[in-house]
Amino acid sequence: MGGLLSYFKGLFGAREMRILILGLDGAGKTTILYRLQVGEVVTTIPTIGFNVEQVQYKNLKFQVWDLGGQTSIRPYWRCYYSNTDAIIYVVDSADKERIGISKDELFHMLREEELQDAILVVLANKQDMAGCMSVAEVHQALGLDALKNRTFQIFKTSATKGEGLDQAMDWLSNALQSRK
Amino acid sequence: MTDSKYFTTTKKGEIFELKSELNSDKKEKKKEAVKKVIASMTVGKDVSALFPDVVNCMQTDNLELKKLVYLYLMNYAKSQPDMAIMAVNTFVKDCEDPNPLIRALAVRTMGCIRVDKITEYLCEPLRKCLKDEDPYVRKTAAVCVAKLYDISSSLVEDQGFLDQLKDLLSDSNPMVVANAVAALSEINESSPTGQPLVELNTNTINKLLTALNECTEWGQVFILDSLANYSPKDEREAQSICERITPRLAHANAAVVLSTVKVLMKLMEMLSGDSDFCTTLSKKLAPPLVTLLSSEPEVQYVALRNINLIVQKRPDILKHEMKVFFVKYNDPIYVKLEKLDIMIRLASQANIAQVLSELKEYATEVDVDFVRKAVRAIGRCAIKVEPSAERCVSTLLDLIQTKVNYVVQEAIVVIKDIFRKYPNKYESIISTLCENLDTLDEPEARASMVWIIGEYAERIDNADELLDSFLEGFADENAQVQLQLLTAVVKLFLKRPAHTQALVQHVLSLATQDSDNPDLRDRGFIYWRLLSTDPAAAKEVVLADKPLISEETDLLEPTLLDELICHISSLASVYHKPPTAFVEGRSAGIRKSLPARQGSDDAVAQEATVIPSQETLIGDLLTMDIGAAVPAAGPPAQPASTGIDLLGGGLDSLLGGPPTEPASVAAPTTTGLLGDIFGLTTAPAMYTPPKTCWLPAEKGKGLEIWGTFSRRSGQITMDLTFTNKAMQAMNNFAIQFNKNSFGVAPGASLNLGVLQPGQSIENNLPLTTNGPVQRMEPLMTLQVAIKNNVDIFYYACQIPIQVLFCEDGQLDKRVFLTTWKDIPAANEVQYTIHNIKGNADAVASKMTHNNIFTIAKRNVEGQDMLYQSLKLTNNIWVLLELKLQPGVTNATLSLKSRSVEVAASVFQAYESILNN
Repeated sequence: MGGLLSYFKGLFGAREMRILILGLDGAGKTTILYRLQVGEVVTTIPTIGFNVEQVQYKNLKFQVWDLGGQTSIRPYWRCYYSNTDAIIYVVDSADKERIGISKDELFHMLREEELQDAILVVLANKQDMAGCMSVAEVHQALGLDALKNRTFQIFKTSATKGEGLDQAMDWLSNALQSRK
Repeated sequence: MTDSKYFTTTKKGEIFELKSELNSDKKEKKKEAVKKVIASMTVGKDVSALFPDVVNCMQTDNLELKKLVYLYLMNYAKSQPDMAIMAVNTFVKDCEDPNPLIRALAVRTMGCIRVDKITEYLCEPLRKCLKDEDPYVRKTAAVCVAKLYDISSSLVEDQGFLDQLKDLLSDSNPMVVANAVAALSEINESSPTGQPLVELNTNTINKLLTALNECTEWGQVFILDSLANYSPKDEREAQSICERITPRLAHANAAVVLSTVKVLMKLMEMLSGDSDFCTTLSKKLAPPLVTLLSSEPEVQYVALRNINLIVQKRPDILKHEMKVFFVKYNDPIYVKLEKLDIMIRLASQANIAQVLSELKEYATEVDVDFVRKAVRAIGRCAIKVEPSAERCVSTLLDLIQTKVNYVVQEAIVVIKDIFRKYPNKYESIISTLCENLDTLDEPEARASMVWIIGEYAERIDNADELLDSFLEGFADENAQVQLQLLTAVVKLFLKRPAHTQALVQHVLSLATQDSDNPDLRDRGFIYWRLLSTDPAAAKEVVLADKPLISEETDLLEPTLLDELICHISSLASVYHKPPTAFVEGRSAGIRKSLPARQGSDDAVAQEATVIPSQETLIGDLLTMDIGAAVPAAGPPAQPASTGIDLLGGGLDSLLGGPPTEPASVAAPTTTGLLGDIFGLTTAPAMYTPPKTCWLPAEKGKGLEIWGTFSRRSGQITMDLTFTNKAMQAMNNFAIQFNKNSFGVAPGASLNLGVLQPGQSIENNLPLTTNGPVQRMEPLMTLQVAIKNNVDIFYYACQIPIQVLFCEDGQLDKRVFLTTWKDIPAANEVQYTIHNIKGNADAVASKMTHNNIFTIAKRNVEGQDMLYQSLKLTNNIWVLLELKLQPGVTNATLSLKSRSVEVAASVFQAYESILNN
């Protein structure tokens, strides 16, 4: 019976899931958003502000917010936290210098009251770049071991090549559905 | 529980509700919420707290919702400057939207968001929109450039938007051209340097003229207004522009018509006035102007104010249209008064009968202001149209007979002017005027009457009684009346001294002792001194012939008129004030002026007579940076005292001054006089020649400069008196000298401040002698350039050489002797000085005050020999031998110097020092 209910629920797409894509500037957030939406790589310019798009994955509807990662914009991330179902945190695996800042921003964000129930997906992006950190290294550098009481998973991706995104989205849709 | 409970509320409130609605999933609900927010915003509730939530609704396919969010952004971006950055990405995306309406909407809204932090992000989208394929987007983007210029002019210049805007002038779409023109004009006007940033050339003008015929009425106004700022390169081009815009005169929109008139008025300046083309053009201008007068009263008023200017500039255009300016009974008062003014300006011998009968009719109407103006108009007609003066005067007399109080008073005021214009012609009516003495209660009328009594005191038998009766209430009179009373009584005394001495003493004591008014007191003192020192001089001053008045007195000053002509169809032409006078923050803006007619070199030729070597001077002056080059010295040295005796100095300037009405004589000289009063006690100082007129008002566009040079305790000063005879304030004064024989240069900048109309300012400009040197012919010539906000003026004056005599010019006796012998005989010049007063000692001491030092004095065969030396600032030594014979007023002066060129000037200095 439960399976049937969830089937209908999925069919009518009862509620749009609200997903935030966050991360430092130049991590590939906007590219990922449009990869998810139209399945292509689009040329992007630094996002001063935000992008919001409807994304259909399998039979789930997402409202995906891609927020700019510039230092001047990060303070305004918090304006978007309420009612968020999941966070896709994008890390530039090739940017070893700023991985520390990325970690700080991540933990700063996760401390927010409004995000306590949000599912976290960390994407170690730009895996196609030579000399980048591996998933394990990114996991280590972000200190994800310290995370308690949080549904989360880390994936290696390459947005330009389209690798790894499907696995991540599969996992995310399952996680969101099973949470219900 | 603490009192903090009062500040926390369980009720979430409207803002909270709106916030949750804005974040709703349902699009309809979201839109409703934004509408509610906008509604609150328009009634003045502060909904800025919802900024992030509203901005989040920005990315939508719904055009209506997008417009609402944009509206919100325009209003609140300023109050949330940091958060406004979140909107940038959406703008950038919208500027690339497939829908041109959204692209234009985005670029327009961007221009309205005046937040520094985000302007730089908006340049790229703006650049794209300026090149958009859709004309609607391009025309919107063009205006956006002007808006951006207002926020950050440097950004616009650096990003090359000006060039892009210029390219749009050649756009295929006329609306784009019109908006580009409008944006460029606005940018040019606000350019900080006052120089237009983008100049129009023949090519672009042609494109504008083509676009003119195709764009909307307001686009036409933009194009015409910028055509008005363009100066064609020759008469032919001017003529062709005229031909192409003349059809616009038939446009239904009054703004288009007036703008066309403006361009034509300006271009007609360049056309030779007697050409057929110009005549036909004048004829074509009349009908559209007349048509404007059949619109609603407000438009009529604007049209009339502009016509008022046009009539002053070119009376011919409307000379046959008098009838349309006749006042209708149902015209509003402001239209009536304005029509009246134009009627007077158009009055001529041909139509005076008609005008007079109209005016007489108006004088019987009920509206007091209008009646007054009508009466005044009759007087002005009398002054303007000489042959009809008689009729005007008799009309005025008829009106006086009506005994209507304000009509009588107004009539007396204008009759005073008629007396001024036609002396000794209508004095027979004085008796009629005197009958109405008691009814006058307005200051102007009383003052006029008093003036008439004083002026014609010799013909009014009981003038003394009449004036005496006025004196009873002297203290209660208006200052204007008091001044006139004082002058009138003095005039009476000078004309009939026999029985009026008591009266004059009474009025002088009233003016000098009982009055707090400095003008009155000073005038009283001057009269008193004049009368007690030299009654003959007093007669010359007080009873001087007055310059005739003409109707031009109420015309606008020509430079102002020309400037206003350039502003036809703007607020300036309605106010009759230049825009700088009422637009704040535009003080640096360019002053517009009419183009000069080609081939008419009158002005240049005139200047050439003032300044001998025109070309070299202009060359030199042009390389100088007026205003900036003068080293900023401390405040100009306080002028030490001059020892001129009180009345001598005062009278010199009084008599030498321009012959004006005695009423205004006293005012400009008071400061000088006061200086003299305080200077009396100090020791005699160097002789300073009286001020002479260096720049007459007619050459200085209303600026008059009198000046002289002086030297006080080693400091050379140029003592200047600036008088503003124009009708607008002058400021931004600066002074520059051309190279001259002694390197005289300003030692400080000219700090005059603002010179109000009618005001005089004394300025003592300290000079140095370290400037560039160039031998001048005549030697002592100094060419000066004075700049102010009106123009740059050039004049030349002569430096009296004695101001260049140094304090250390005393030679040792032996050195004197050897030098005298060393200088060859060829370098000796002789001169005879006439009319010497006083003995050798007196002469010697007089010379010492002027830095001519007596080395030795000998008596040879009954003749006094004075050996004197002086040193010029450029270290030229001059040795002199003065031979005086007691009892003989002529003296022989021998001069020796290595630079004998200075001889003539030194002789002149001797002459002037010894004779003063």
